[in-house]
Amino acid sequence: MTYLLNTLFATLVPMCVTAMVTMAITLIFKTSSTTNFAQGVISAFGAYFVSYFMGEKVGLSIWIAMPIGVIASTLVAVLIDVGIFRRGRYVNAVGKQIITMGLISIIVSVIPMIFGMTQPSINKFVSGNVQFKGALEGLVVTNNALTCVGITVAVLGVIFILLRFSKWGLTVRATASNEYVAGMMGINTHVVTAITWGLAGALGALAATMLASENASISVYFMTNYQVYAFLAGILGGFATFYGPVIAGVAIPLINGLVIWALNMLGLSEYSGWSMVIVYAIALIIIFFKPQGLFGKRIAKKV
Amino acid sequence: MEKTSVKTSPRVQKKLIQARQSINWIKAELESLPELYEGKKQAKLARFKNKLNKQLSSAAFKACDKGEYYDGVIDSKLMRYDVKKYMAHRALNHGTAKRIFGTVKLGQSYDEILSEQYAKYQQLNAARAEYKGKLTEKKAAFVEKHGAADATEYNALIAKKQAEYDEYEAKLTAAYGAAMSEKAEKLSQKLKGYESLTEQLSAKTAGGLKLEEDVLLSVRDLKMYFGGLKAVDGLSFDVKKGEIFGLIGPNGAGKTTVFNCITRFYDATGGDMYFENKYGEVVDMRSFKVHDVILQGISRTFQNVELIKEISVVDNLLVACTREYKTGIIGQALGLPSLKKEEKLLRAKAMKILKFMGIESYAAWYAMGLPYGILKKVEIARALMCDAKLIIMDEPAAGLNDSETADLTRTIRRIRDEFGVTILLVEHDMSLVMNVCDTVCAISFGRMLAIGTTDEIKKNKAVQEAYLGVDEDEEAQPQEEAEGNE
Amino acid sequence: MDKLLTNKYGVKGAVQRADAKLTLALRKTVSNPLLHYLIFGVIMCVIGYIAKQNTGVIPYSWESGLARTFAYSIASVGFCLLMGYSGLASLGTGGFIGIGTYAMYYIMGVLDLPFALAVVVAIAIAALVGIIVGFISLRIEGIYLVILTLGLSEILRQIYVAVEDNISISRFRVFIETITTRSVTIYYVMVALIIVMIVTTNLINSPTGRAMLAMKNSTSAAQAMGISLIKYRLLAFVLCTVYAALSGVMYMVTTRSVMASDANGTYALITSLNILAAVIIGGYKSVWGAVFGTFIMYGLQTTLLQQVNFLADNPIIITFFSGILVIVVVMFFPGGVAQLLVELKGLIKKLIKKIREGRYGKDLG
Repeated sequence: MTYLLNTLFATLVPMCVTAMVTMAITLIFKTSSTTNFAQGVISAFGAYFVSYFMGEKVGLSIWIAMPIGVIASTLVAVLIDVGIFRRGRYVNAVGKQIITMGLISIIVSVIPMIFGMTQPSINKFVSGNVQFKGALEGLVVTNNALTCVGITVAVLGVIFILLRFSKWGLTVRATASNEYVAGMMGINTHVVTAITWGLAGALGALAATMLASENASISVYFMTNYQVYAFLAGILGGFATFYGPVIAGVAIPLINGLVIWALNMLGLSEYSGWSMVIVYAIALIIIFFKPQGLFGKRIAKKV
Repeated sequence: MEKTSVKTSPRVQKKLIQARQSINWIKAELESLPELYEGKKQAKLARFKNKLNKQLSSAAFKACDKGEYYDGVIDSKLMRYDVKKYMAHRALNHGTAKRIFGTVKLGQSYDEILSEQYAKYQQLNAARAEYKGKLTEKKAAFVEKHGAADATEYNALIAKKQAEYDEYEAKLTAAYGAAMSEKAEKLSQKLKGYESLTEQLSAKTAGGLKLEEDVLLSVRDLKMYFGGLKAVDGLSFDVKKGEIFGLIGPNGAGKTTVFNCITRFYDATGGDMYFENKYGEVVDMRSFKVHDVILQGISRTFQNVELIKEISVVDNLLVACTREYKTGIIGQALGLPSLKKEEKLLRAKAMKILKFMGIESYAAWYAMGLPYGILKKVEIARALMCDAKLIIMDEPAAGLNDSETADLTRTIRRIRDEFGVTILLVEHDMSLVMNVCDTVCAISFGRMLAIGTTDEIKKNKAVQEAYLGVDEDEEAQPQEEAEGNE
Repeated sequence: MDKLLTNKYGVKGAVQRADAKLTLALRKTVSNPLLHYLIFGVIMCVIGYIAKQNTGVIPYSWESGLARTFAYSIASVGFCLLMGYSGLASLGTGGFIGIGTYAMYYIMGVLDLPFALAVVVAIAIAALVGIIVGFISLRIEGIYLVILTLGLSEILRQIYVAVEDNISISRFRVFIETITTRSVTIYYVMVALIIVMIVTTNLINSPTGRAMLAMKNSTSAAQAMGISLIKYRLLAFVLCTVYAALSGVMYMVTTRSVMASDANGTYALITSLNILAAVIIGGYKSVWGAVFGTFIMYGLQTTLLQQVNFLADNPIIITFFSGILVIVVVMFFPGGVAQLLVELKGLIKKLIKKIREGRYGKDLG
């Protein structure tokens, strides 16, 4: 029992990171109708900023350095939208994907130009563990993980409330549903997409900072795995809604944890390297039988 | 009619289809044999003729009159100038506004341009005359150098060569004739084998279904429900052989749904569809997959032209024959000669159909950028490619102007008469329907309103009521046309 | 005397006609794409051979650089068939390439069996994976399919990591020659690439190619024309994965070691994206374009640009500019280099026409 709970608590930070990245990717998918492959490196860019401002040269606290990194990522993302995607509106979906792929090359080469060829690290938000007594003794929950959960719940909660109840949320949902018609209805779709890109950049930077605070070492591609989880979560939950992907994004690391636990319980601990394979396979089987995603709606096709 | 459900295995069906296709190929090959061998013979003869002519060339030169010969040389040398002159002349004669504006320079008037062109023409003329003069000067020297005509050698040679040529031709004719009859014999034996196989197999697959004497397609109590929406609700009609059958109805009446049920894009909720396929058997359409419908002899056209824009018109026609190739995918990947043979036969057929439709000059054009009216014709030609017995047309007149619609009316009649196909069409354009159709069936909300000849339908009260909103449809048409022309 | 040409110019005319026929036959041969592929292969092999002699005429590193580029080109050509002709897209290329490398590793490195068996095993496994993806593609389309193949590729990569992370073969025998680090491996790659190019060209111009185009254009029209979606989707994916696996085999022949867990390595998303970008840059319907695009993405860096000292010291700048190049091509030349060439040809023709017009009036053109 303790072991199960410990396994689950160990996946808390990956859950938060995946949820945030998934939200970022869903936002961009819905407003710009492309999968943003550059999400990972944009996030890493933010994390580099955070580590720089926390490092020996500047030495700020993480609570001040993090907003700076978030702002940097936001600016980069907005710049990408305004500078490239706004001009390439008539590029088809695959073309847009390729553009984001070109962005990877650019950002990956810009990061060493600014920060040099280092693999910096970020300190934990809060150090130490939560103390348990009695029946729960032996549980390990770091304060840092709990802080990450707090940040994630707060940020995503605010975004969901804004999307659901604010006027801005309505414009985003309208643009996501049909950009052309939204434009005709008087919504400034340019501003809406720019804001969603900015938001996606900010979420990415937050996620990267949280991951780095737990794993310590930052590299250009260190978010790539989570980005792939996020894509999978997107179709697993169905891009039709905002909450579907996020729920799936939380579920993927969770199921991974459960699989590792189950493998250990069955005495197959030497096969724990296969846990991600099993998770992916489960996800693919679900998608195969529910192509529109767990929370999606079936759309009738017209001949 | 009794519905007897004799289920035959798909394997037998597949075998049957393959055997029938083989029969088609063999027949086509047999037909093309004389042409093939004649071509081979002529090619060989031409090569031989060239060889003989080369041997004759020096004697022929001696035999001819040197003066005349040199005149010919002059003519051919002046050809270059003549072409230029012709072009300049045309430029002068056919001065269109576009060309004038195209070449106009700042401050240059039409007259100035013309005079400039004329000056060029004069220059050309002068240059030509000068060149001719130069050549003519040389003529005397040439004649003197080569001496008078002396035909003795030539006459002696030519008779010999002619005999050689005749002998060779006779030899070739005999050889190719023998080869051809041998090949034809082989092919007809193969054909017999396939025919007996087909008989055996078709005895197995025959489901004992029968339609009335002259009925081609029989739709009975067809139902198609989308959830709670009853798009087609108990519709029955018979299409007779060789007639042009029109299906009309207001928007949302379920016309296209009926089409999609017949061509198996939708799996009908209930009802039966029987069809006498191109081999004279009655089949239950519901037992086929959507991509097997074409093999039974039903092909269709689409409301918005669905052609491949990146390949030529004739290649588009060949797409309809994808299932007829006997060369497999590996054979195609290796580029086997059997594929080339099949392609050649099918291309000839495609050209024939394009000629029939009067668009053979567009054969090599890419479908992209052709006018909408032409594309519609190409699509009809494509439907004709697979020896269909029934062609289903979904709004053939959509997006066409009046003269094009009139042309379409004639084309549909000609197709019916020459290819012996039956045509089933859905149409909004009442003038087309009333002009071309033998029988019209009017439906509304998935139910039959009336069926009969065009006159009966015109007078029918129920149809008139259902069509009160017809004006809207007609207004919608010019918009569609504008889209098509883009 | 009617059968033989005996008029006064006929003698000359017949000879000229025969000559014209000969030139026509020659032209046909010269314009045959298959011949172009062969010539291309021979030239590349010669370059590779000279480079391996290390005489300084061509830098030594070119051979391995070109060989690796053309190994990737095999996957690109398959992707061109998938995207340009079937209208499907996938991001599984990286994972599919892995099939080939692991088949090589196990059959030749571990079990020490012949090369041909490794190729057959790679093709068989790849075909199986292709069939699975093909079946998935019947239910899921567009961008969703792309992400799903990405997931599948990720599964493959995780399997590779779990099975054996770091694979390498030091020396192995292909047919009769033993391959070591000093061998000229570009021969094998070019043979494979040319076979793939010829097969692809044949398929593109065959009924199969047209059927695929019909399917890309409109699935319903294709079905009405008797084209079975299952068959051609499966075929497209099988070809794509088999080519990718073959590319993996050739990659192993040239490079001889791969690490699976590298997040930026051969099996990762970045390879799939690079191949996709290569096909887009080249013009997604052209076989030559795919090869050229791959050269831009992979070969330029290892061959030509290495010669510039500044760039050799700062390889990151090449990455930067290749990113910009990709974006510029996608935004301003959606047809890729192939379209650019066609446009250039048109421009030159127009120019010639204009010059002629100036001399003889407009009708001449």
